[in-house]
Amino acid sequence: MNERPEVSREVLLDARNVTMQFGGLRAVNDVSLQVHTGEIVGLIGPNGAGKTTFFNCLTGLYQPTSGAVEFAGQALPPKPRLVVRAGMARTFQNIRLFHNMTAIENVMVGMYSRTKTNAIDAILRLPRHRREEEESTQRAKDLLEFVGLTGSGDSLSRNLPYGDQRRLEIARALATDPQLLLLDEPTAGMNPQETRQAEELIFKIRDLGLAVLVIEHDMRFIFNLCDRVACLVRGAVLVEGPPAVVQNDPRVIEAYIGMPANDVAAKPTAATEEDADA
Amino acid sequence: MELFFQQLINGLSLGALYALVAVGYTVVYGIVQLINFAHGEIFMIGAFGAYATWVLMGSPSDWTATTSLLVLLPMMIIGGMVASVATALATERFAYRPLRGAPRLAPLISAIGVSVFLQELVRLFFGKIPGMPDAKSSVPFPDIAGISGATITLGGVIIQMPAIFTLAALAVSTVFLWYFVNRTKTGRAMVATSQDPDTARLMGINVDRVIMAAFAVGAALAAIAGVAHGLMNGNIGFRMGFLAGLKAFTAAVLGGIGNINGAVVGGLVLGLAEAMASNYLGTTAWKDVWAFVLLILVLVFRPQGLLGAKVVDRA
Amino acid sequence: MRTVIPDQLKVQLRYPARAVGLAGAAAMVASVFLPWSYGHEALDDVGFTGLPSPLQFVFLILPIAILALLGIPLVGKAKLGRWAKIVAWNTTAKTASLGALATVVVALAAIAIELGGLVNIETGGWLALVGAILAAAATVFLPDSPEPTLSRVKSPRWLQITAIVVVMAIVLFGSAYALGMDDAGAFLTLAALLVGIILTLRQFGVFGWLGIASANNNRVLVMSAFVVAFAFPFTQNGSNANMSIAAQVLIFAATALGLNIVVGLVGLLDLGYIAFLGAGAFTAAVLSDSAFATINFHPPFIVTVLIAGTVSSLLGLMIGAPTLRVSGDYLAIVTLAFGEIFRISMLNLDGSDGPNITHGSAGIPGIPDLNLFGFDFGQAHIIAGIEIGRFANYFWLMLLVMALIILVFTNINHSRIGRGWVAIREDEMAAEAMGVNTFALKLLAFAGGAFLAGIAGAIKAHHDVSVTPEQYVFLESAFLLAAVVLGGMGTVSGVLIGAVILKVLPEKLRFFSDYRLLLFGLLMILMMRFRPEGIIADERRQLEFHDDDEELADEIEEELITHHAHLNPERKGFEL
Repeated sequence: MNERPEVSREVLLDARNVTMQFGGLRAVNDVSLQVHTGEIVGLIGPNGAGKTTFFNCLTGLYQPTSGAVEFAGQALPPKPRLVVRAGMARTFQNIRLFHNMTAIENVMVGMYSRTKTNAIDAILRLPRHRREEEESTQRAKDLLEFVGLTGSGDSLSRNLPYGDQRRLEIARALATDPQLLLLDEPTAGMNPQETRQAEELIFKIRDLGLAVLVIEHDMRFIFNLCDRVACLVRGAVLVEGPPAVVQNDPRVIEAYIGMPANDVAAKPTAATEEDADA
Repeated sequence: MELFFQQLINGLSLGALYALVAVGYTVVYGIVQLINFAHGEIFMIGAFGAYATWVLMGSPSDWTATTSLLVLLPMMIIGGMVASVATALATERFAYRPLRGAPRLAPLISAIGVSVFLQELVRLFFGKIPGMPDAKSSVPFPDIAGISGATITLGGVIIQMPAIFTLAALAVSTVFLWYFVNRTKTGRAMVATSQDPDTARLMGINVDRVIMAAFAVGAALAAIAGVAHGLMNGNIGFRMGFLAGLKAFTAAVLGGIGNINGAVVGGLVLGLAEAMASNYLGTTAWKDVWAFVLLILVLVFRPQGLLGAKVVDRA
Repeated sequence: MRTVIPDQLKVQLRYPARAVGLAGAAAMVASVFLPWSYGHEALDDVGFTGLPSPLQFVFLILPIAILALLGIPLVGKAKLGRWAKIVAWNTTAKTASLGALATVVVALAAIAIELGGLVNIETGGWLALVGAILAAAATVFLPDSPEPTLSRVKSPRWLQITAIVVVMAIVLFGSAYALGMDDAGAFLTLAALLVGIILTLRQFGVFGWLGIASANNNRVLVMSAFVVAFAFPFTQNGSNANMSIAAQVLIFAATALGLNIVVGLVGLLDLGYIAFLGAGAFTAAVLSDSAFATINFHPPFIVTVLIAGTVSSLLGLMIGAPTLRVSGDYLAIVTLAFGEIFRISMLNLDGSDGPNITHGSAGIPGIPDLNLFGFDFGQAHIIAGIEIGRFANYFWLMLLVMALIILVFTNINHSRIGRGWVAIREDEMAAEAMGVNTFALKLLAFAGGAFLAGIAGAIKAHHDVSVTPEQYVFLESAFLLAAVVLGGMGTVSGVLIGAVILKVLPEKLRFFSDYRLLLFGLLMILMMRFRPEGIIADERRQLEFHDDDEELADEIEEELITHHAHLNPERKGFEL
């Protein structure tokens, strides 16, 4: 187990009683969750439990039917790009890089909301614009190095190996200069070695002072990584607490083992999550 | 009050025309999410097909109303349908099908190409077919005894027979369409495909055939509209599809694109709105502008249309 | 080009095939010294013995190239050294032969049509045909060569710059020569010949090399292109016929470039773009000193042009702000509807259906020539002994506007805004989720494109002398779109080429002008099917259209990395 540094317990993200209703289906039901600065929080749950829908509610993609989300003491703005400006960035379950752009360009798109060049600056190539471009390029390179993609800057992101694409997506999210990073299944499809690297990377991100909220299926990964874990089942929080507690909670074990894939109740929700990504 | 009823009939018959064309946009969009720009030209070719059939039948001008209505007009409609369905299937096969899966810009641009190409094809070559008049300017549409120029008077309101024909054609077509969509195998496959093409394919539906069926149904109705246009306006021309197509698309959006009932309602509403607006809001010169302003307003405030679309935007 | 001939057969036949090919090429060389036609009327006179016409001189390039390509490898691989691999000897010879064959066929067909029958073809013509058939047939039987590696050859800077300047000079004199031809047959023959030569050079690897050279010397390239364009009026000896075409081409190209920002960079299909040009033109017309101008306010043109651009971009905002939120397909239709609204409004603002602003279908005639800082655009000037007429003045002005548009296009494209546009094209939702203000960026492109069109329209009003609603119909929008699609979405040079092709061909080929829309419709369908990225492909666009082509992705990545090694980032784009 990793040594966890003492962190100040300031509430960064405060979601209260978030409910998301699609027609007759309640995909997220009265979920409350807090994330503190410098904390890694895990969100687990069987397929279709509403994890990604909850993410979408946090990042402005969906407007929750009821409930409130506050970020750093402010009510969360209703648009994804404003959420990014407020300091929350995400990755996607099914990687959504700009796949015909190079790695470095992908990262630089992430800096959009933190840069200021306007059309006139760009057309006239004013010193301000050039300085900013240089700084952006340098920072993008640094970020690529940080996630372990040194030397891949000019590769088209579609040509990168799968694991590198996941890391590039993290670098792109970091480029938005977030206080809280939301990772949607960052190790899906990875081999054990890549998973271990991802874990190290997330610790490194935490050590920068960022809070991280992770959705994962890989139990060992999440219990090793997180300070706190919430288990979501059928849209509602079943248990929340330190990994050791959640891990041994009989209800969690039942939710996973006692809920085979052909369970009827899980099915309609699964469809919604796919819709959320479409 | 009589003027109002007069405008009501005018608006409804114009709307029926739009509705017949709008169905073609909506059916195709519902299944392949393609705005078939060239559909206006399919309508135009339907009219020319009907005209050509009339010439092939010996340009009859002295047939009685009964034979005209029972033989001549149905033959012309069938001729128009053959022409427009064949054209629609050919464009689907050669201009759209190879582009499935390409970025959405590609089929749109291809559709504009098809539209320009078909207009020019008729303009340049219709007259080269032996027996056909030159189509570089408008061509007078044949008179059909019993319809052309005929009127009936209902409670002081004079109604043109072509308007009655158009409304009747819409009514009959709607019944057929309802039967086709809800009661035939191909129709139900169409509905299934529009809702979820991948699952439809997995269920053994031949998606290519369904798409062709959608193009064919739309083209057949457009051909009827082409004949109706010829009867109402007295002439046809290679350019007639452009504006009519744009209006019909507006109607389809108005009703909720992808929704067949919506296309019919949207067409009627648009026709009425146009007739009333030009009557009460000044001269007819601006009526097209009102229609397009309506299109923009609908897109802004109710993009799913009046009846709600089955598919708003799956992009 | 792949043939179905088995490789083994090719290897067995390589010597006889080479001999036949050489003989065919020699026959073609000989043919230009013999008359191709009876009489001197066809193809600007190809009827002389011993004295080739200019066209025949240019034609000589292909057979001589074939002689060299087939002859030089005979000295043996060892003596060729690394050149054995740098050049694709056999495949290039094949391309050249097929190009020569196509040219000869077009030329003979033109002679037969112009003079009325095949009997008018003389010995030289038949000899050229036989030679071309022999060469083409023989080279098809040669084994394929590996891909040429000329592009990887390192070369000194001075050589690269010289090459660029030479190419530009050839473009200048070539286009002056081509525009000077008034014989459609000769023009078509030259066109076939040029396509043949260009394809041969491409197969030879010249373009790959030139591409790298021009990427390394971007500024030299752009400067020399402008110098060449600037010099063009001097090649015309005061003749107005071609200058009028040239000025029209530039107005058309400038507008197409503006459209290219919207369609090519952001991927929004704008089908009413011509309305923005029209808005600019009508604004300039009603504010001009024309006796028919309806607004009693006649500011200097500098002010007018800004008002025109602003009016256009306000219209762009009016139409874009509500509709850019809905999907792209709807935008296409809404812009189409907007184009119609514009045209109908211009027709109706005639005093009877609305206030009199445009005089309806009659439009506003009698717009005086521009007068900027005392320089009268209607006046001819003598510079260096050559008369520079009215159209040349407008040509130069448009050149300036073009430079402005290219500056805007390139510099914005290489900024965070440009990256945002690409991101929107690739995945709008992900872009929004990464903090990109997608709506504002789309609106910027839409209104900015409209502004540029408004400027071009204001100049067009003075150039055309009169402005009528019928100049700004949907077909013109489709025509602009065709230039963008044909040339290459998202590229500057491609759209310039597209605009030149679409404007010059109908001017030079009168018999074809009635079919031009038919062919352009067909062209758009075929381009979308076979080469959606256009003649000059923007690399990223190419990838988007060929999404599953992994090989292409690797190739382009390699290119990006090599280019990047030569370039430092700020050298992309131009400075004022």
